[in-house]
Amino acid sequence: MQDLRVDKKGQILAVKDLPTLPAVLDEVTKLIQDPSSSTEQVAALISQDQVLSAKVLKMVNSPIYGFPRRISTIQHALVLLGLNVIRGLIISTSVFDVMAKNMVGLWEHSLGCALACSSVAKKAGFKDPEEYSVAGLLHDLGKVVIALQLPEMKEEVDNLVQEKDMLYIDAENEILGFGHDRVNAWLADHWNLPKNIREGLAWHHRPRSAQLYPEMACVVHVADFLARLYETGNSGDDNVSYLRPYALDTLKLELNDLEQVMDELGEQFMELSSFRPDE
Amino acid sequence: MQKIPISLAREGMALEKPVMRDNGMVLVGEGTKLTSALISRLENMGISSIVVKGEPVDMEGVGSSTTYAKRIERLDHLFRLHENDEWMQEVKEFIRGYYQARAAAEASAMQETES
Repeated sequence: MQDLRVDKKGQILAVKDLPTLPAVLDEVTKLIQDPSSSTEQVAALISQDQVLSAKVLKMVNSPIYGFPRRISTIQHALVLLGLNVIRGLIISTSVFDVMAKNMVGLWEHSLGCALACSSVAKKAGFKDPEEYSVAGLLHDLGKVVIALQLPEMKEEVDNLVQEKDMLYIDAENEILGFGHDRVNAWLADHWNLPKNIREGLAWHHRPRSAQLYPEMACVVHVADFLARLYETGNSGDDNVSYLRPYALDTLKLELNDLEQVMDELGEQFMELSSFRPDE
Repeated sequence: MQKIPISLAREGMALEKPVMRDNGMVLVGEGTKLTSALISRLENMGISSIVVKGEPVDMEGVGSSTTYAKRIERLDHLFRLHENDEWMQEVKEFIRGYYQARAAAEASAMQETES
């Protein structure tokens, strides 16, 4: 069993084969590890890839961020949102690109979760809600990569969910021996994502296990619940996730505090419904 | 409130939100009643969707059941895996209460546009 798992991890992490990831991402990752690099350099690098820049700017101008004016340059986007968010946008738009056609529901769920993350983070009084929203955007990345790298297993998972009416993550664990949350952690390490975003991705189902940034995991956990409650897109489950009281406690929120969040989301989810990142 | 594609816009509908260009410039203000001339002008300007008051278009099958009355109907289904969990039942009833309040607000907003 152990060998089998290592074997699958290898298959999944052969993400170099992913036709979608632009070379720019590797270069950007390298550049930001160099302390002498500047925002201008990073912006120039991303801007070289015009298709990618257009996709990133489309996301920057989506209802998720709700800027009152159009942001038209990568440079400006970097200043407003920061490098971590822009890297997250590059990863999400690139990975979802291939899947956009047959996994459009998951894409919409991810966008919905991103919106909900920033709403929940604001309600909890955290600064930089964009950092939380990027974790929401990427929280089901593992599902996409499983579908890409192990398509026949993804089909088995889908069938099991249908047959036994069980949670998607439980079906993943039964078929694969691990869930998309585990895959998220591998991917986050692979791409050298910041620790806070890594914890949001890896522990959104089990926020209690997040040791460094529990508030990040809790925000994504609550946001995932809300996106499923409002049925924005399709996460693979046609039911709500378990809303853990621990997550609300950690964020110092009561159930009643969610009313304000839902007021906001009711409108924003609707605006999102006609947003198509790939057109 | 409902977001509809411009192709489904009809005379007499009222805007819940202003229509804006990409750069944020307001073309038509909130509350404006649509006329057929206005609709075709918006179409010509490449506006693809608008947000109108009430719920004038039956979007069933277009994948957006946005009314709160419909959301209430979905609650039992969405919480079906947590039927025996006391806390999740509490969460469900809290959401139901919230939806009911919103549904009532929606209904009264709808009457206002009709009168």
